[in-house]
Formats: sequence, structure tokens, C-alpha cells
Amino acid sequence: MDELLLSKVRLGVVAELLNFDWIAFSELARSLDVSNGNLGAHLSKLVDAGYVDEEKSFANRRPLSRYRLTQRGREAFASHVTELQSLLKAAQ
Amino acid sequence: MSVKPLDAAAAQDHLEMVNRILAESHQRLCNGGEYFVVWGIGSAYITVLAQLVHGGLLPSAATWSLPIVIVACAAFSIVRARQTRGVLQRSSLLQREFFNVLWLTLGLAFVVDIAGFNIFTGLASAAIWSVAEAIVLLYIGMHGNRRAQIAGVLVIVSLVVANFASPGIAGYVLGAGILFGYAGFGASELLARE
Repeated sequence: MDELLLSKVRLGVVAELLNFDWIAFSELARSLDVSNGNLGAHLSKLVDAGYVDEEKSFANRRPLSRYRLTQRGREAFASHVTELQSLLKAAQ
Repeated sequence: MSVKPLDAAAAQDHLEMVNRILAESHQRLCNGGEYFVVWGIGSAYITVLAQLVHGGLLPSAATWSLPIVIVACAAFSIVRARQTRGVLQRSSLLQREFFNVLWLTLGLAFVVDIAGFNIFTGLASAAIWSVAEAIVLLYIGMHGNRRAQIAGVLVIVSLVVANFASPGIAGYVLGAGILFGYAGFGASELLARE
């Protein structure tokens, strides 16, 4: 099982990014209902692992960070979810 | 990395969260009803004007209003896109694909209209827009939007009816198809968003 995705917040981030091209930091924080500091720490780990791409820019003179899932992150998510389902099936 | 392994209850909790997020991420494909209204009214005006000029009800000088209408529609699209760019914090893969289909279809219709004016003369040039707009509407309809399916069929039906109608009213039929199909769809999307 992917240890990076054992965190519920990180798994939630990857699930949020799955069907989207790019999602802004603020939008992710709102969707997952987590604090900015908490989300930032989790996103850093996902970026460092190569699961998520980060882009920093400015929109209307305000900093804008947005994220998208990489192919590596997509594959890790698929395999992690399969393992979660196997674990659940074995327990039943 | 030392992480506590998951038990079955936690695995179920995580899977439920993933399923909920994926269910909620199904975003509406069409988020710009105003574009459909503006371009629908604009292209219906162009089609009806062509019919009026062709029928001798208006002088050919009236066609000078066509570039003004097109530029006005384009200016609206640019200004509106700039206004909503900051607000649009999510851009789904499906939406990106939709915009590719939209610009490719309408762009191609525009190029064909401009470059192929000897082949697509008179009402044929207006009919190209009906075809292009029907493709866009039916593409949205393919992704589960019932209103877009109905609107796309309406535009296609207007095309077929115009084909068999007398030349004196064919342009009005095409214009009505575009107005009620394309602009009507946009209006219904705006009302649904309220």
C-alpha cells in the first residue's frame, strides 16, 4: 500500500485532482475543509514525491498556486485504491 | 516514512471519501450560457438579415452591419472570458476537451465561411453555422445534458425544414433554429444556474 496515500488528506487531494486539469490551492482547501497550513504541508509531500505538479503565478496581483495530478500520481492512486478494496474484501 | 497501517474500518472510511469526492467532481460541462445567448442571437441576426437582403426587403448596404455584429460578439466573449478567468479556479479535463471541440468547430465554420464563399454561397454559408452549432450542442448533450440534446436536435430539424422550405422563408427557418436552439439553450443554462 502506498504510504504517502495512507493520509486521508493526501488521498483526498489526489482524488480531488483526478478529474481536473488544474485546481487552485484555495479551492482545494475549501473542498477538503482543511486549514491552509495543513494542506500546504500535505501538498509539499505530494509535490516532492512527483505525484502532483505545482504552478505558482499571479492573478489580479494576488499570488495563485494551482496543482494538477501527474501520471505517476494517477497510477499510485489507482493502485492504492485497488489495495484498499482488496483489504476491505479480505476483512469481510 | 513510518505510518500506521490501515485497518478495514479506516480503509472503508478512505474509500467512502474517495467515492464522495469523485461523485462531486462531476462538473457541469457548460458553464457559459451567456456565450450561447450572445452568439446565438448574433448568428440568427446574420442569417435572417441575409434572407431579408436576398429577398429584396432590405438593401444590400444593410450587410455592413454583419461585421459589427461579429466584432461585438467577439468583444463580448473576450471581455467575459477575462472577467471569469480569475473566478474559474477549476478546469476539468472534460471541460478542456469541450472547449477544444467548441473552438475547433466554430473556428472551422468561420474559416470555411470566409475562405469558401464561392462554394458555400447564400444560405449555405448560414447553414454551416447551424451544422457547427448543432455539433457543439450535441457534444454537450452526449455528456448527459438533456437540454443540449433537445437544442441540438432542434437546430438539425430547422436545417432539414429549411432545406425543403420555399427559398423565401428558408433563412427565417434557419434563424429560428439557431435562435431557439443555440441562444435558447444558453438562456436555459443561465436560468438553471440561478
